[in-house]
Amino acid sequence: MSYAYLFKYIIIGDTGVGKSCLLLQFTDKRFQPVHDLTIGVEFGARMITIDGKQIKLQIWDTAGQESFRSITRSYYRGAAGALLVYDITRRDTFNHLTTWLEDARQHSNSNMVIMLIGNKSDLEARRDVKKEEGEAFAREHGLIFMETSAKTAANVEEAFINTAKEIYQKIQDGVFDINNEANGIKIGPQHSPSPSLPSSSGGGAQGSGCC
Amino acid sequence: MDYFRKYLSTPQGTAGQPTGVETVERLVDRVQSSTLLDDRRDAVRALKAMSKKFRLEVGTQAMDVLVQTLETDRSDSEITGYALDALCNVLSNEPLDDDDESNMPANLPGDLGAQFTEIFTKKHENVSLLLSLLEEYDFHVRWPTVKLLTILLTNKGKDLQEAILVSPMGVSKLMDLLSDSREIIRNDALLLLTQLTKGNTNLQKIVAFENAFERLLDIVRDEGNSDGGIVVEDCLLLLTTLLKNNSSNQNFFRESSYIQRLTPYFDLDSQHTHSQAGWSAQKVTNLHLMLQLVRCLVSPNTPQQQVTACQRTMFQCGLLKQLCTILMASGVPADVLTETINTVAEVIRGNLQNQEYFASVMAPSNPPRPAIVVLLMSMVNEKQPFPLRCAVLYCFQSFLYKNEVGQSQIVTTLLPTSSDANQITAGQLLCGGLFSADSLSNWFAAVAMLHAIQDNGTQKEQLLRVQLATSIGSPPVSLLQQCCNILAQGGRFQTRVGLLQLLCAWMIDSPITVAHFLANTANVPYLITQVSASDSDENESIVQGLCAFLLGITVLYNDEQNETFNKSSLRQIIEKRIGLETFTEKLSQVPKNESYTKAAKKPHVSYKQSSEVTFDYEFTRIFKALEVDALDAVSTDAGRKENKAKLANLQQHELVVNQYKDIIQEQDQRLNDLQQQFLELQSKHSMSGEEIRQLKDQVQQLKDQNSLLKVQKGAQSNPAADARKDEEIRSLQDQLEKMRLDNANKDSAIEKLKTDVTVLEARVVNSSEEDKENIVPSESEILQNTISRLQSDLQELRTSAAEKDNEISRLSVQNNEAEGQIQSLKQRLESNAETQADPAQLAKLMEEKMTLQERVKKSNEENLKLLDKFNKMEEEKNSVVSEKEGVLEELDTLKKEQEDLLVLLADQDTKIANYKKLLKENNIPVEDDDDDEDDDLDDDLDDD
Repeated sequence: MSYAYLFKYIIIGDTGVGKSCLLLQFTDKRFQPVHDLTIGVEFGARMITIDGKQIKLQIWDTAGQESFRSITRSYYRGAAGALLVYDITRRDTFNHLTTWLEDARQHSNSNMVIMLIGNKSDLEARRDVKKEEGEAFAREHGLIFMETSAKTAANVEEAFINTAKEIYQKIQDGVFDINNEANGIKIGPQHSPSPSLPSSSGGGAQGSGCC
Repeated sequence: MDYFRKYLSTPQGTAGQPTGVETVERLVDRVQSSTLLDDRRDAVRALKAMSKKFRLEVGTQAMDVLVQTLETDRSDSEITGYALDALCNVLSNEPLDDDDESNMPANLPGDLGAQFTEIFTKKHENVSLLLSLLEEYDFHVRWPTVKLLTILLTNKGKDLQEAILVSPMGVSKLMDLLSDSREIIRNDALLLLTQLTKGNTNLQKIVAFENAFERLLDIVRDEGNSDGGIVVEDCLLLLTTLLKNNSSNQNFFRESSYIQRLTPYFDLDSQHTHSQAGWSAQKVTNLHLMLQLVRCLVSPNTPQQQVTACQRTMFQCGLLKQLCTILMASGVPADVLTETINTVAEVIRGNLQNQEYFASVMAPSNPPRPAIVVLLMSMVNEKQPFPLRCAVLYCFQSFLYKNEVGQSQIVTTLLPTSSDANQITAGQLLCGGLFSADSLSNWFAAVAMLHAIQDNGTQKEQLLRVQLATSIGSPPVSLLQQCCNILAQGGRFQTRVGLLQLLCAWMIDSPITVAHFLANTANVPYLITQVSASDSDENESIVQGLCAFLLGITVLYNDEQNETFNKSSLRQIIEKRIGLETFTEKLSQVPKNESYTKAAKKPHVSYKQSSEVTFDYEFTRIFKALEVDALDAVSTDAGRKENKAKLANLQQHELVVNQYKDIIQEQDQRLNDLQQQFLELQSKHSMSGEEIRQLKDQVQQLKDQNSLLKVQKGAQSNPAADARKDEEIRSLQDQLEKMRLDNANKDSAIEKLKTDVTVLEARVVNSSEEDKENIVPSESEILQNTISRLQSDLQELRTSAAEKDNEISRLSVQNNEAEGQIQSLKQRLESNAETQADPAQLAKLMEEKMTLQERVKKSNEENLKLLDKFNKMEEEKNSVVSEKEGVLEELDTLKKEQEDLLVLLADQDTKIANYKKLLKENNIPVEDDDDDEDDDLDDDLDDD
């Protein structure tokens, strides 16, 4: 189970847009039609391959309900990627994107890759938000965009993997400081320079005074 | 400065000097009003100094000022530090370390700290303020802040947890403390985080998200694993807090491959010598916590899916192997060993692969024995510590849990065939334990055996085969009987309770065991005596309850083969000897018992003292499931026969009523169905009426179209056929013409014949009249020829008539074909009807069809005419034939006449000859001609 990199993701967005279903589809390849309200935050993980490298994704699926908002904020800082999800059949979930984005930008590190996801693309008949609108919003705010269906699994893999590709690219470009775990990126055990010495745990503490 | 020194040096000054309250008041005033930082700093320092002794005063009066100082004078670490220290002193409930107890004001309420904490945390900004102070690196600020937060969390955990949860980055800041290079801050942060996450799943998750596992495992490793100090203990405590009952974190822990990192914790060989002296108290504690950490990932009360996945990982990464090594290692302190056994139990419980591995572990003894045997030896050894024996039982149970193979392995060692005298087997140990003098061993062995046959019918039967040699000379006794015998001897409480539980479990779902049990007539009376006894002792009531349960089971699983103790007789006995109410009461005593409820909580055998040992977890499950059934089995028939009869009657009545109800319901249902069907049919009917009308219309339309199409067909496909027909007609006409001509020819021939005949007649007349020699054979020949020609003509006519017939039939066939074509065209038209709806075209088609029909009619008529003509010709022919016949007749007569004439001629010839002779004789010359004639005649005569 060794990996080259470990990325931390969070999934955010209004309640009932299908965040947990996306995660379940991605990690377990199954769909659960009943809406099971997420309490606080749930965890899921999967290994993917990018550019021939094993990359472990640790995904935190947050609760969309307003009452959990303060809890979910705690997860922004340590995440390298975020999936911001709305429901294409409910315009209000699209309208709330700005609030979510503000929240995310405020609490996350500036390099966090955000993927905008219009979920439930299988419900074309009930569509309320045009694909073009999603694309426009993503363009305007510098996000990657994709329409997915957690039910049919359409684009689900791609959504997670493309986000990882973007993060990977940013690492290649040197944008991310991969030694700061607060960025949500960790180098795999075999990539570490050497097994950390006892003193190394306190090494970075001088700089941790502010963040 | 002097001013303050005065107070500080003599805090409890003489009467003239100000009291504590006044001093605090002044100091507060000073902090608030001083413009100089130095003055404020001194005042705060003074407050800090007073905060221990005058805790109530400083708390009530100065708290706001101190908090305010934290905000305003944040840049000065010194004053901030003093303020934080002062607050710590005020809020802490901990006894002050450097103060004499005598100095403490005695009248302070005990929960003063909690009250002050409540006041402090009421303002959420205060908590945020403290969290923001954590960003200060200065030791004098950071450390007291950590301490203060810990105090707040200890006093009012819930409130503060909520406050930290809603403050953004709060947890992040606390987590950053773990990387502080100053150990004291890091260690205090560990305590703080433990307090923070206690009982709050959300905070546990966030802390885990902030890489707590990684950092904590790093610290433990860096501190030397189990050899580390109290920091390791604190880390392990925090890890356990984060994982216990938090399946999301457990999942994260497992998914992040942290289980693998636990394996080195149990690698004792490389870390230490085996000497007992090497086990420091800290190491024992650390190991305990490490084992508990493992257990909280696989304990039976976590979700099964999670447990299974963790168990698999623990096997794969060698953790289970390490644990088993500790199990068999020497010099391990008993309590660590006990906890290890418990841990192994939970790692293998219900997981076949792990159970199999456990069964294969051998103890490094001489000769090597299976670990299970070694453990069982400890279990039935009364010298071993009680918790260890409990742990072994738990481990043994976990080994057998959902493990039929394991169960069979254990039971096999009891059977006579496999007994090997040289080897100690599990079976021997269990039997030894069952019948040893130590009642606790009896209990352990009985319960262990219960698990070997639990839910396993085969092993229940196998166990019946076990025979025991009691003493030399006496016949062997079955294990079942021996258990009953011991029971009857009235041993100690635990012995009896253990055996009763074993017997209950043994007989459940196993009628054959019940039969064996009932075969010994002493058993039922013993149970009856027990249940009917009126001992009020708590322990005895348990025994009585279990006996009642066992009685119930003998009824419930009775195979009715035993005449003395079949279901009804047992019921009668129970009713008569015990009474149903007593029976029920005794049975209901069992679950009311405290030890029962305790044992029913979890599979773990967690008795603190040997005297508490009563019930097994698995047995409580059996009892719960079957208590009601057993009671029912006993009470259904027993006693109250009238009632029963009434009940039966009533039941029967009800049954009948129910039957009727069912029937009525069924009928109702059917009625409904029929009504439904009727409605459906009605609607169908009206629909089909409509449909028929539509169809009629359609048919009409189709007919129209069909006729149109016929016309069209005539127009489209018949010209050729028509032409052919025309041609045929024409040819027929030609033939007719020809026939007419033939007829005419024949007529003329007949005419000619007639004239011939008349000529002949005339000739004949002539010849007969004038010269009878005139008739010439050639003429008859000619006649013959004419006749034959006529006949051939007739033949020809006949053949041509036949040909005509053929022709006509062919024509009619063709006509039929044409009719058929028309028919098919009609059908085609019908099928095409819907698409071809152009009225104009239809009209045209109609017209065409009409004309076609006309033509067909015409051709038919012509045919008829032709037929007529033909018939006429036939007639004519016939008449000709008859004429011919007439002619032939005439000819015949003519021939006859001719013959007559010939005869006459001959006569005349002879006469002539005679005459000639006469003439010659008379010398009358005869004409030459006549001579010739004579010659001829002579010849003729010669011929004659």
